Amino acid sequence: MGYNSCFDIIGPIMVGPSSSHTAGAVWIGRAVFELLGEAPDRVEITLYDSFAETYQGHGTDKALLGGLLGFDTEDVRIKHAYDHAEEINLIHTFILEESCPEFNHPNVAIIKAEKGNKILEVGGASVGGGLSQIFRINNIKVEFTISTNEDLKKVVKYKNA
Amino acid sequence: MDIQSTRDLLDYCQRENKSIAEAMIDQEHFKSGKPKQEIFDMMKERLEKMQRAVNEGLEDASEAPSGISGGDAVKMRAYIDAGDVLSGSIISDAMACSMATSESNARMGVIVATPTAGAAGILPGVLFSLHKNTDLDLDKLVMGLFTASMLGYIIANRSFISGAAGGCQAEVGSATAMAAGTIVELKGGSPQQAVHATAMAMKSLLGLVCDPVAGLVEVPCIKRNVIGTSIAFSAADMALASIESRIPCDEVIDTMYDIGKNMPRALRETALGGLAITPTGKQVKERLFSKTKLVKQLKGENSDESQNNDNGIKTASGVIPDRE
Ligand code: SF4
Repeated sequence: MGYNSCFDIIGPIMVGPSSSHTAGAVWIGRAVFELLGEAPDRVEITLYDSFAETYQGHGTDKALLGGLLGFDTEDVRIKHAYDHAEEINLIHTFILEESCPEFNHPNVAIIKAEKGNKILEVGGASVGGGLSQIFRINNIKVEFTISTNEDLKKVVKYKNA
Repeated sequence: MDIQSTRDLLDYCQRENKSIAEAMIDQEHFKSGKPKQEIFDMMKERLEKMQRAVNEGLEDASEAPSGISGGDAVKMRAYIDAGDVLSGSIISDAMACSMATSESNARMGVIVATPTAGAAGILPGVLFSLHKNTDLDLDKLVMGLFTASMLGYIIANRSFISGAAGGCQAEVGSATAMAAGTIVELKGGSPQQAVHATAMAMKSLLGLVCDPVAGLVEVPCIKRNVIGTSIAFSAADMALASIESRIPCDEVIDTMYDIGKNMPRALRETALGGLAITPTGKQVKERLFSKTKLVKQLKGENSDESQNNDNGIKTASGVIPDRE
């Protein structure tokens, strides 16, 4: 559901190993980066269900951090995202939970981010093939998908939410 | 224009006298407003990235960081070069190219998800084998990617394409089905024949569970990609021989959805069932994840993580760190 383009199917161009657990996760982190206009100072990331079970093997943690740092899905720096996060003193905590009560999908991440005195919360689900659906920005329920850089424009609309 | 079934697709192809690939380009142009040349060029960029991943993977004998994959594409190539391959050059080259891509993926190399990264080896395997063994040039292969994406688009919107949602039938199954239809169209078969090939390939992978060892997209994923190419060629050859799927393609896709919905969570990419919980699978997980920082931190607070695993179904709460 929600696939709109041939490039949702053939794509993204990405660093491996998983479109849903790596590339899709980059987009969720990237949504936060776009909303803040820069990388946050501090994040608390809650991973649910399949994300929580298998994030290590898929580099889901690195992918989310990469997105938070503004990287693209094909950016080879994702592999070393922890180092890059450390360089800019991005403080990060990961929390692992079972199924997400808020959004019924196995690959959900909710990111609480702080930048200066700005606080932001974004909920996203990686629904497959590198396509992510954002379902909440702060207290606002939203419904749009991100699978290309062009899609990031949909996020920016909520900048003052 | 928004094609949601293979029936819609065949109607469109017949009415407009177009191939499946052309139907995809028409739809993309209609939906995005982008000029057709730009759409073609974007797809070509993806083909070029695929080619790079294949070429790099065929040269690279290194292991993935996990140590549980890597080096097999080089072995396969050496075996082919020795000149005594049972399955012939089309199949064996597809196997090598597919393995090369999936191994690159496991090394966190750059690949193109087709439709997912887990199944990223199948289409490049099939396409670059056709390129090597027949007279299909790169532009024709780009058209092949449009065929594949149309078929994948229908599957993705009617059913699913991720292992977490629907098991491996949704990933390797979908990619193999897309590849089968693509081969048919590239070989000059009709849209009907391509759709039959898609149905036959998917039928042969229905029910396949997602059970990656240690949650890594390596075992059994890489070899499922490799073998997926053979299934794609078999299904394509049947369709080109005018053999039809007795169950219409849309019904096969819908069946994949029903089966996926009924698949236990342990067999949908959670690494809590299937091959992932074989004695060897569990050992691999233990060995790998005792090393990483984050798990150490979690284990410090919940040190019996592995023991929760005895019945094979561990709840996520077993690894939730104590947050107080
Ligand atoms: S077993 Fe799971 S992770 Fe591996 S290719 Fe199949 S669906 Fe993807």
